[in-house]
Amino acid sequence: MMSLSPTQRIIRALAAWLVVAIFAFPIYYWFTIAFRVEKEIFELPPLIFDWTFSGKSFEEVFGISFGYDNGAQQLAGGGNFYMMPRLWDSIVVAVCSTILAISIATLASYALSRMRFAGQHHFVFWILSTRMMPPVAVAIPMFFIYKQFGLLDTYTGIILVHALMNLPLAVLLLKSFFDDIPMEIDEAALIDGASRWLIFRKIVAPMAIGGIAATAVLCFIFSWTEFLFVLTLTQTGLKTVPVVASTFVTSTGTAWGNMAALGVGAMVPAFIFILMVQKNLVRGLTLGSLKQ
Amino acid sequence: MNQRTETGWKPKPQHPSRDAAVLRAPKFMLSDHALPWLTPLLAMLLVFALYPFFYNIWLSMHEFVPRKRALEWVGGDNWVKLFADTRMWGALGVTLLYTAFCLIVQLVLGMGIALLLDSDDPGFGFLRGVLTLTLVIPPAITGMMFLLLEDAQFGVFTYALQQLGILGTSPILGNSSTALLGVMIADIWQWTPFMVLIFLAGLRAMPTEPFESALIDGASSWQIFRRLTLPMLGKVIAIAVLIRGIDLFRTFDYVYVMTSGGPGTATYTLSLYAWQQTFSFIKWGYGATISLFSLLVILIVANVFVALTKLRW
Repeated sequence: MMSLSPTQRIIRALAAWLVVAIFAFPIYYWFTIAFRVEKEIFELPPLIFDWTFSGKSFEEVFGISFGYDNGAQQLAGGGNFYMMPRLWDSIVVAVCSTILAISIATLASYALSRMRFAGQHHFVFWILSTRMMPPVAVAIPMFFIYKQFGLLDTYTGIILVHALMNLPLAVLLLKSFFDDIPMEIDEAALIDGASRWLIFRKIVAPMAIGGIAATAVLCFIFSWTEFLFVLTLTQTGLKTVPVVASTFVTSTGTAWGNMAALGVGAMVPAFIFILMVQKNLVRGLTLGSLKQ
Repeated sequence: MNQRTETGWKPKPQHPSRDAAVLRAPKFMLSDHALPWLTPLLAMLLVFALYPFFYNIWLSMHEFVPRKRALEWVGGDNWVKLFADTRMWGALGVTLLYTAFCLIVQLVLGMGIALLLDSDDPGFGFLRGVLTLTLVIPPAITGMMFLLLEDAQFGVFTYALQQLGILGTSPILGNSSTALLGVMIADIWQWTPFMVLIFLAGLRAMPTEPFESALIDGASSWQIFRRLTLPMLGKVIAIAVLIRGIDLFRTFDYVYVMTSGGPGTATYTLSLYAWQQTFSFIKWGYGATISLFSLLVILIVANVFVALTKLRW
């Protein structure tokens, strides 16, 4: 915007790096906790850079062997902190709920983007309103409903509720991607005698595939990080990573190293995914109302 | 119809059998009416949004009686109780304070950092990418991270603040005057980048001409920010406030993980209070009433906000 002198540019760059370093510090520190020798977690003054590496927490949590401390042989698959099944729960829930939400939302948002009907504006706003519902106001009645129908503690129950949670985002975001595709394309195809379904399947959906993929990634992340519904609607049958991590805090002490290792395991896939959708991130976070 | 479609739309069909399969889709899917397309969505919202909503209303008019192990009709008693419950008003107060404080800090910090990072110099793209990472950490895990950083004995923040002489020996999260601030720091850390990204997108989409002419007219940087940048970001700011405000008002994860509402009732938010009434104190009806109350507050405030700012989706 404004032209800066070289000195000003250097100062600006330094300030920018400093600010981002402050924001990155908790993540860095958490990663070091996951990989450091346990007794060093409690050292005072806290060790920021000169910590000693240990793969023990990771071996215990993920049942893989780095060859440290002979931990893996005894613990793989058996220890108290072995969390691969919980990671699997998280993946199943996130993938299935994303597929469900995206399938429902692409159909609906195509119609909302292309067809006009009475009360359409209100309908879109109603969908937006469901995004405003406090999760606790859904989780409480859902607990009793699920209890009646035997859906508590099941994959089906969690998948359905996560899909529901992601529907407003998916519908509004996909509608914005469909709105980007000129309506003339549909009209030309309609004149040529193609049906709406054919146009959707063969023209518009393939053209919006980038947007659909970005929406799917965001749905996956929101399901992956969700806490309240899984906390409320599961007991022992399944648990996703954020919920099971909170059980590491016990009255006899907190297993910080294991918790950090699990946290790292939960973060890394999400980091990779978010870097894939950088281009559409702002649009996604604002439910399709702001384009980058 | 088949014939015309295939010849008109696609001159050389590569997979005639696949096209035929598409055209044999259920008849209602070929319609030009919106309803069939919306049916799955409507079914889902009906079963999983409207039904729980009405069930919640029904629940709020009942209460669990442990002696009989059953729900009993109590009519409007729960609502009367709600308005007389000082702990509920306390929780509402905490929630509003939490929402307002975090929102203001995130807006100001977000705007500052966005202005700082709005540059095409080498390295800035990388920095913007790094900032997005906080957004995808599960909030419950963020809560743990800050639980560790703010730990009374070996937390880095505690240690740093003690060395600076700002904090005495009392633990951040164990003291009712600082506990809420301790929780808010986690929220601010995680969601300030959200504001930064949104504002950056707004800044980068702006036309350059008004700024050039303002510079020629000798406007100061502050005047340019106040009179040009801020008004042009109006819609962006409104959207950011709406989305963040909603999420802040219904906050649960951080307080549940970091303090469980304590010490005392210092960090009870409305969501946490409703959840604990239902699942810790077995006040099923009352918990449902509180959750409905928070739903009403959020819907009214958000709708008024949308109407005032004339946001369109």
